[in-house]
Amino acid sequence: MSPTLAWAATAAALAVAALGALSTLTRRRIGLAHLVATGVLEGVLLLQAGLAVARLAGGARPEEPATFLGYLAGAVLVPVAGVLWARGEPSRWAGTVVGVAALTTAVMVWRLVQLWGDAGA
Amino acid sequence: MPDPLGEPARPGTATSGLGRVLVALYGTFALAAGARAAVQLATRFDEAPLAYLLSALAAAVYAVATVGLVRGGRGGRATATAAILVELAGVLVVGTLSVADPAAFPDETVWSGYGRGYGFVPLVLPLLGLLWLRRADAEGRRRRPR
Repeated sequence: MSPTLAWAATAAALAVAALGALSTLTRRRIGLAHLVATGVLEGVLLLQAGLAVARLAGGARPEEPATFLGYLAGAVLVPVAGVLWARGEPSRWAGTVVGVAALTTAVMVWRLVQLWGDAGA
Repeated sequence: MPDPLGEPARPGTATSGLGRVLVALYGTFALAAGARAAVQLATRFDEAPLAYLLSALAAAVYAVATVGLVRGGRGGRATATAAILVELAGVLVVGTLSVADPAAFPDETVWSGYGRGYGFVPLVLPLLGLLWLRRADAEGRRRRPR
C-alpha cells in the first residue's frame, strides 16, 4: 500500500476530527464542512481500495489476505456509517462521532500499510 | 446560508449524545476485537490458544457493553456497568500479566500491555464508560425520583 495515500487519508481524517471537535466545543451539530472533509477522506479511501484490488488482481499477495480485505472494506464503510449516524444525532456530540469514525479509518489505513508489507507494487 | 460548522445543538441532550459516542467506540472495539479473534481462532488456534480465547472474550465483553449502552434505561446501564467492570479487570490483569510474563502471551491481544497495540484506548474506554454511566444514573434519578 502506498504510504503517500495513507498520509493523505491521515491528513483528511485529522481535518474531520478537528472540525468535529470544533462543533462539539461550540455546541453545534455537524454541517457542510464536515461533509466535505469526510467526502475527501472517502475519496482517498476509495482510490486506495481501487488500487489495492487492482494489485491483488495482478497477483500481489499481502500477509493475511483475509484480514487485509476486511480492513480494506471496513475502512471504506466506517466514514459513511459515521456520517449517517452523526446526521441523526441532535446533540453537540455529533461532531465527536464523525471524528471518532475518521480517526478509526486512519488507524485502519496504517494497519493496511503494515499488512501489505512488501507484497509488491 | 447554513453554518458550515452545523446548526446549534439541541440543548438538554448532552448526556445521551455522549452516550452515542461511547456506543460508537464500544461498537468499533467489539467489531475490531471480534474480527481479530475470529481470524486468529480460525487460522492458527494452536499457536497461542490462551491469547486468542482472550481476544474472543474481550470481543464478547465489548459486544455486551455496546448492547447495554444502546438499550439504556436502568437495566441497560446495569448490564453495561457489569460488562465494563469485567473489561477494566481484564485490561488490568492481562496488561500486567503480559508485561510481567511476555512468554505467556506470544501474540498480541486487545488487552496486552494495557492496550498498547490500540493506542491505550482499551484502558481509557472503561474509565470513560464508568464516568458516563454514573452521570446517566444520576440524571435518571433526578428525572424519576424514587
